[in-house]
Amino acid sequence: MAVKTAIKVKNLTHTVTANTGDLTILKKINMEIKEGESVAIIGASGSGKSTLLGLLAGLDINTAGDIYLYDHAFSEMDEEQRAILRGQYVGFIFQSFHLLPSLQAVENVMLPAELKGDKDARQKAEALLSKVGLSERLTHYPNQLSGGEQQRVAIARAFASSPKILFADEPTGNLDEGNGKIIIDQLFDLNHTHGTTLVMVTHDNELAQKCDRQLVMSAGQLVEN
Amino acid sequence: MRFALRLLLRDLRSGDILTLIIALIISVSTVTAISLFIDRLQLSFEKESASLMAADRMIRSDDEIPQHWQQKARELSLQHAENIAFRTMVFAGEALQLGQLSAVTDSYPLRGSFLVDTTLFGAGKTTVSPPQQGQIWVSSRLASLLNISIGEQVDVGETKLTVSGFLVRDPGSTSSAFAVSPRAVMNLADLAATGVIIPGSRVRYSLLLAGSNEALDAYQNWVTPQLNDGQRWRTPVQKGERIGDTIHKAQSFLLLAGTLAVILSGIAIALASSRFVKRHLMQVAVLKTLGATPGGLVKLFSIQFLVLFVFGIVFGLAMGWLIQGLISSLLSDLMSTALPEPSINRLWLGVATGFVSMLAFCLPMMQRLIKISPMSVLQPALKLEQNTLLIYSLGFIGMYALMCLYTEGFLLPSIMTLAIVGIGLTVSLVGFGVFRLGRSLTSGATSGWQIGLASLYRRLVPNLFQLLVFTLIIMLGLILVGVKTSLISDWQQQLPANAPNHYLFNVQTHQIEAINQLSNELKVPRSDWYPMIRGRVVAVNDTPIQTLYPEGQGEPELYERELNLTWSDSLSRGNKLVSGDFTANGLSIEQTVAEEAGLNLGDELAINIGGNPVTLPITSIRLVDWGSMQPNFYLILPKATLQDYTANFVSSVFVSDADAQAFYQKMAQFPTVSMLNVGELLKQIQTVISQLSQAIQLVLICILSAGALVLLASVRATLEERLEEGALLRVLGARKALVQQSLFVEFGALGLFSGLIAAAGAEACLYGLQVFVFNAQASWHPLLWGLGPLIGIVIICAIGISASRTVLKVPPMHLLREF
Repeated sequence: MAVKTAIKVKNLTHTVTANTGDLTILKKINMEIKEGESVAIIGASGSGKSTLLGLLAGLDINTAGDIYLYDHAFSEMDEEQRAILRGQYVGFIFQSFHLLPSLQAVENVMLPAELKGDKDARQKAEALLSKVGLSERLTHYPNQLSGGEQQRVAIARAFASSPKILFADEPTGNLDEGNGKIIIDQLFDLNHTHGTTLVMVTHDNELAQKCDRQLVMSAGQLVEN
Repeated sequence: MRFALRLLLRDLRSGDILTLIIALIISVSTVTAISLFIDRLQLSFEKESASLMAADRMIRSDDEIPQHWQQKARELSLQHAENIAFRTMVFAGEALQLGQLSAVTDSYPLRGSFLVDTTLFGAGKTTVSPPQQGQIWVSSRLASLLNISIGEQVDVGETKLTVSGFLVRDPGSTSSAFAVSPRAVMNLADLAATGVIIPGSRVRYSLLLAGSNEALDAYQNWVTPQLNDGQRWRTPVQKGERIGDTIHKAQSFLLLAGTLAVILSGIAIALASSRFVKRHLMQVAVLKTLGATPGGLVKLFSIQFLVLFVFGIVFGLAMGWLIQGLISSLLSDLMSTALPEPSINRLWLGVATGFVSMLAFCLPMMQRLIKISPMSVLQPALKLEQNTLLIYSLGFIGMYALMCLYTEGFLLPSIMTLAIVGIGLTVSLVGFGVFRLGRSLTSGATSGWQIGLASLYRRLVPNLFQLLVFTLIIMLGLILVGVKTSLISDWQQQLPANAPNHYLFNVQTHQIEAINQLSNELKVPRSDWYPMIRGRVVAVNDTPIQTLYPEGQGEPELYERELNLTWSDSLSRGNKLVSGDFTANGLSIEQTVAEEAGLNLGDELAINIGGNPVTLPITSIRLVDWGSMQPNFYLILPKATLQDYTANFVSSVFVSDADAQAFYQKMAQFPTVSMLNVGELLKQIQTVISQLSQAIQLVLICILSAGALVLLASVRATLEERLEEGALLRVLGARKALVQQSLFVEFGALGLFSGLIAAAGAEACLYGLQVFVFNAQASWHPLLWGLGPLIGIVIICAIGISASRTVLKVPPMHLLREF
């Protein structure tokens, strides 16, 4: 059976308006990511990695070209439809964790399922948190957790909606080596178990090497695929 | 729906929602409390004024009142009574005296009570029923003139009536300031038998009504088209009357206080909403990455805001109800009568305040939340596209609409809105200049001064906004203090404790000396003597009044009746020249009367004095303070015109309760002199004034407390950044004193400038309010210029430093982890 294409990018160009005039951040990018593949996007600061990640996830709209997520074209959708698609297909892990400060760890993990209207959101969340080794920390608030623990909560949250594609933006960028390693192991472990496609932006070469493929960005262009 | 509520409940723990709810509760409760309280006060004064008139409403007529008018009152379930007033001779043996009699039905008075005594010149006991058939109550003055005592009979026309009491006060008498003959009250059932009312007699018929406002309004609508020119519909508080004027000013003050409460509410809710949005922007962006759709978020926030709205309104209304109850109970000792119950239908104002505040401040903010790009999760520096001008304009329009709703007019809201715009501009200009200057004068971070002044410039926009909020709150407080102070001192000045309480009329030239002597002996203070001659305006600029007002419809008071005219060489106390020359050979007219009749300088009035027409131009217009209790006149003529006519003289005296008996007895030797006791009316006014002064102070405290709370909220709103900076400074090794000093400089400077600008703004507003709203003379308020900066520095520093003390106590690590 042929492997499905999770993400397909055709002639993607992205331009923003700045004080000094129009600024092209991404130039004519073409690529494909297969289902279940893990891909690292690497490159220098300002090369357009995060912008590409955001566009691939449908967080913003590109100025030219097409992005397909499981054959759904983002350019033909409005924000409402893109949000629905994200809810169905996409999970996120951020460098600065972005847990909701007013919610406990378990409530943060419950969010995606609750947004979908799942009845057993809590059980799922508790199971995921115990998988990342935080079963003792369910009712802690983000500011009561260490950085590593917060990122583990974020991983649990990312998998809570059983996403087909997981986007990670520098997931270990704010963590020390020890914690970073734990996070990476858990991330790949869960990724493997769930058969998720992983798209990750990172500066960490070692982490990038763990992925099936590395995309190198330079000045808004894909220089190595 | 359940998810929205669950999220709301979880959010509650973070305190942001709580701040919003508290702001909403403060807004709704302040406005509710004040509007309910004003309503109760108003009802109470209406009731008290009604007791002065003996009814809620009255029809006064020169002709007999048609029977079916009473029938209509019965149909509308209104209580009704009749009072027929006339002058007639009262005989007792050989003695006779012209008396002012009232014949009343058994139901009279509908409001208030009689004061009657069985001893001559006694203080009187309260009674709510009139004399029974066959009986009469005569004033002590009439009794002493006729030399009669209780149980004796007097002749009124063709019937004999038995004196059963000495009338001290009858509730309707004060409404007619010129009922100068000694009074007596009898039962209407005896009137026909007297036979004194014959066609052509000068009789004043009154139909008195009391009942619900709806029924009274219905009656008024029914009867007004049927009134002829000799018939008038009267309400208890007529504008221009002393008591009405006092109440009117107090209402304006309370309305102003309420308006300021509305503005405070707006500020509170705007601050809370902006804090809410700021702290939720990233959260919403995260929710969007998790698949929350814009439509879903609109639904989510709508449900959350709706729940907050309902909760805030319900609690706000309950709190408002409790607060007004507290204010009323604190005032109850002062009130001569119990305050009427607050009416539930005034609560809509609180609901409207909550609704408009939410609509004007929360919704635009919510829109910002919904518009946040999920991309900002990856790129936090991404600017949020926001139409700030639109947000503030909406807030502004909402607030203006609320104020208009509240005051049922545009004047007060317009003055306040203009003031706020002016303050906004001044704050931007002054703040920018001063903060920039402060920054350029300092460099480095070696002293608290340098750090503090540098912080002011670095956070320029938030600091300017905070300066604006501080300034507005302080200004609102200063305006209230300013208005309160001048209003109360104005009242006290107008009605000193020894304001004249008796008028003496019909004094002949040869009696003046003897009465002067008498008053000197008893040490009774007396005003000047004014000659008084009766005359009637018959033509204006050669056009007869009958031609101008053939049906008498809409006829100004000046033409309606015979007037008391006087002459005077100089303006007397309580008179102020508005235009023209008082000493010129012409008429001096009172301003409001001139305005009512549409008369200006140069217009010629023909006045019939004792059958002789006199034509004179208007050469001056005066403003008369009717509250001065001095004899005052609509028209003052040149001495040369009037001196050939026989004049009576009028004066006013202050007779203390202790001197009253002696004074009345001595005055009995001048039987032709008429005396009008306005002491009761004065006491009533003084009670009203002290009640109102207290009420105003309490409302002021209420608003200032709300203001302090909003001030606290606004300091807290920007505290986080300051705390973070303080923590950083501590990490870098700054001493506690340095951090403290820098905060002190920052808050102190904000306080000082907001206080100064607020004082200037308050002064400008007070000018507008005094001139346009309170119709008073504009004056400077030096107190405000000291109070403003003082309050600014002391309160803002105190709140700021006390809220920041965690920076100084808690280890910096803890604080940094919070951010």
